Amino acid sequence: MDAEIYIDNNSFIHRLDPRVKIIIFLLTFVAILLFENPLWMLPITVLIVAQLVISGALLNLRRIRYILIVLTVSSMILWNLFSTGETQLFWRISLESLSFAVARTMLMILMISAGMILITSTRNEELVNGMIMLGMPYRVGFAISTALRLVPTIVSSTITISQAQRSRGLDLESGNLLERVKKFLPLLVPVFISTIRSTNIFGMALESKGFGAKEKRTFYLVFEMRKVDYVVLAFAIVFMAVSVYFAILGYGQIEGLVRF
Amino acid sequence: MSEPVVTIRDLNYRYRGQKGFALEGINLTLMRGEFMMLMGPSEAGKSTLAATINGLIPHFHMGKLSCGVEVMGRDTKEFSVAQMAEIVGMVFQDFEAQLFSTNVELEVAFGPENFAVPREEIKARIDENLNYVGLDAFRNRPPSTLSGGQKQKLAIASVLALKPQVLVMDEPTTDLDPISKMGVFEITHRLCKREDLTLLIVEHETEEALFADRIALIKEGHLIKVGQTREILSDVDLLESLGVMPLGIPKFFKAAGLTELPLTPDEGVETFASSGFKINEAGYQRMLAAEKAALTQKNSPLIECKGLSYTYVGEVEALKNVDLEIHRGEMVAIIGQNGSGKTTLAKHFNGLLTPTRGEVLVNGKPTREQGIFKLGQSVGYVFQNPDHQIFSEKVFDEVAFSPRLRNFSEEEVKQRVTEALEAVDLAGQEEEDPFTLTKSGRQRVAVAAVLASNPDVLILDEPTTGLDYSEQRSMMNMVRRLNENGSTIIFITHHMWVVAEYAKRAFVMKDGDIILKGTTREVFSQGDVLRDAFLRPPHFVEFSYRLGYTFLTPEEMIACLEGVHS
Repeated sequence: MDAEIYIDNNSFIHRLDPRVKIIIFLLTFVAILLFENPLWMLPITVLIVAQLVISGALLNLRRIRYILIVLTVSSMILWNLFSTGETQLFWRISLESLSFAVARTMLMILMISAGMILITSTRNEELVNGMIMLGMPYRVGFAISTALRLVPTIVSSTITISQAQRSRGLDLESGNLLERVKKFLPLLVPVFISTIRSTNIFGMALESKGFGAKEKRTFYLVFEMRKVDYVVLAFAIVFMAVSVYFAILGYGQIEGLVRF
Repeated sequence: MSEPVVTIRDLNYRYRGQKGFALEGINLTLMRGEFMMLMGPSEAGKSTLAATINGLIPHFHMGKLSCGVEVMGRDTKEFSVAQMAEIVGMVFQDFEAQLFSTNVELEVAFGPENFAVPREEIKARIDENLNYVGLDAFRNRPPSTLSGGQKQKLAIASVLALKPQVLVMDEPTTDLDPISKMGVFEITHRLCKREDLTLLIVEHETEEALFADRIALIKEGHLIKVGQTREILSDVDLLESLGVMPLGIPKFFKAAGLTELPLTPDEGVETFASSGFKINEAGYQRMLAAEKAALTQKNSPLIECKGLSYTYVGEVEALKNVDLEIHRGEMVAIIGQNGSGKTTLAKHFNGLLTPTRGEVLVNGKPTREQGIFKLGQSVGYVFQNPDHQIFSEKVFDEVAFSPRLRNFSEEEVKQRVTEALEAVDLAGQEEEDPFTLTKSGRQRVAVAAVLASNPDVLILDEPTTGLDYSEQRSMMNMVRRLNENGSTIIFITHHMWVVAEYAKRAFVMKDGDIILKGTTREVFSQGDVLRDAFLRPPHFVEFSYRLGYTFLTPEEMIACLEGVHS
């Protein structure tokens, strides 16, 4: 069972300089937050979907599809309940609150997608080195990469643990919500314990290989910005500038929306 | 031998929050180019001693350290672990947790990067060390896609890239399958020839100790004896009393009354001939006949696989058309490399997996129809790592988990827990916190937790991995007792001596197929097939069939021996 998030398929996006990818990721976040009208969010959506397809990150989205579905459903309900508007459709739902809920749901899914694109197409080290070259302290960067690295380890030990407990008669599929939550205890405790044990060794191994031995360290992995990197970056900045311009002019809001 | 590289003087160490000393009065000197093996039972202080050499103690583990360890003139108290990393390399048992990178090359680069080694030099070191451990072809692969053995080789390469003077390996092969063990040992055999590298290896495999220059024995934090390899390995009684596995060959000759003991199969064959020993042919045949008779009594099938094939989603076929039959009351072993399909096969017996093609019958009914919840009552499965299932604060609750889920009355639960804990020799420890027990204690809790549902069949996935010799023995003696009381036992293991001494029948798996099955003796007599599956019978068995027989234990051979000097 492969629990790795990075997918090694050497797409156009994979080959981009990690710094460019990180900057685009940050810009994307801002661009997503600029508008609250789903129609105005369409351009950035198209760009993100294109990146999802090119980078192969769709595969990773599929792996978390249940989480995405839960998020979508709950966000559609909640944002409708917490806002209202003039054009009543049915029950407590108005056209304005519906579009707002759609926009907020899109916002969440798009942010997750943007993050997924970044980590699907960028190796851990590239990501960290990219961040460091953009000015982040090495230790902070390393902490982030360690956190990312733990994800697959935890996923694979969770699979084994759930098999072990099912063999002992644990039935995760039956019972009401509260009962089910209680049933996760036999899974959670071993996952925590084994993760803590392995991070302890991780820490020892880290120091044993001289982590932080010298003030300055070499980076074996170095990147150079190529022409295509500059082009992509320029495109992203122009796109961003145009978006901000329209946002300042006041476009992309939902008229008549009342938020609680 | 030239100058001392590691000097340990009057070392005492106590972990914080503990009363007793983990190490006491240790004096030890390692010479340049020397290869020392550190052996002893679990909790003896082997890993603790290993960790003092690169300064993990006292810097990483808090505690009280008195007097000192000096490596190449550096006192470990004055230098940080990271600074020591330049001269002392450390390889750990857990091959997953010591790799950080998503790429093999970068893993090797990590150490030199920390020491600001120039990029060109790092590149050269990557090439050299990947080549040395034979991972050249994998340089762009993510380490997570490598096998356990390859991961451990990568860990060695990444440490060697720092060009250390001393290499400490803490049980580097304990979690590996036989073929990976051989691969790692093959590297250590080359490393120990290097004049510039001092090796200290903590290891349970006594047969590997034959390659060491010296052996240090440790127990309860004290160095019991440090001596030349031959001297230590000949002291069979001392090893046994320390819970270290003695070699079968000297053990046999000692029992036969010799004082100059041979160690290797070659020496054994020679000594056997020169001492005028003979095997009593009639006695040997009687033993074989008795074995056959015992097996034919057990003939009511409990588990049957018919044309069983299994394919993991999106992967290659893990099991190919497997046919097998296990009878009620048997004790059988399944052996083979990791990835040969052992665990996949065993997971079919309790319904965790259902066949892609073919059928698995338990008690005459297909597993597909019974489901894991129901099957779990008659087929208990003990997973390899007890830490993957223990979650309760008390031993009692952990063992009661399964019976409670099956809605037994609290009285019945109590009785079952008591019986199960008695069976694993943990009676009276109901109120203990399982997490404070040793690995072998936790392993026993896991077995008891499965026994509590009174299964007919007990499947144990590597029950002896990570235990020391005496713990392995007592674990397997306990399993044998369960078998004698009527349970059918199926165990998966990498320890060939455990198979030789405890299994009545064995299945050898390779590439998803059973390539050999029969009585343990029949299986072990097929040296060539075993080697084809990259399995290696213990030295003692090898020695016996060079004499034309297949003896599984020294005791058996002694019973058939003629011409013993009195």
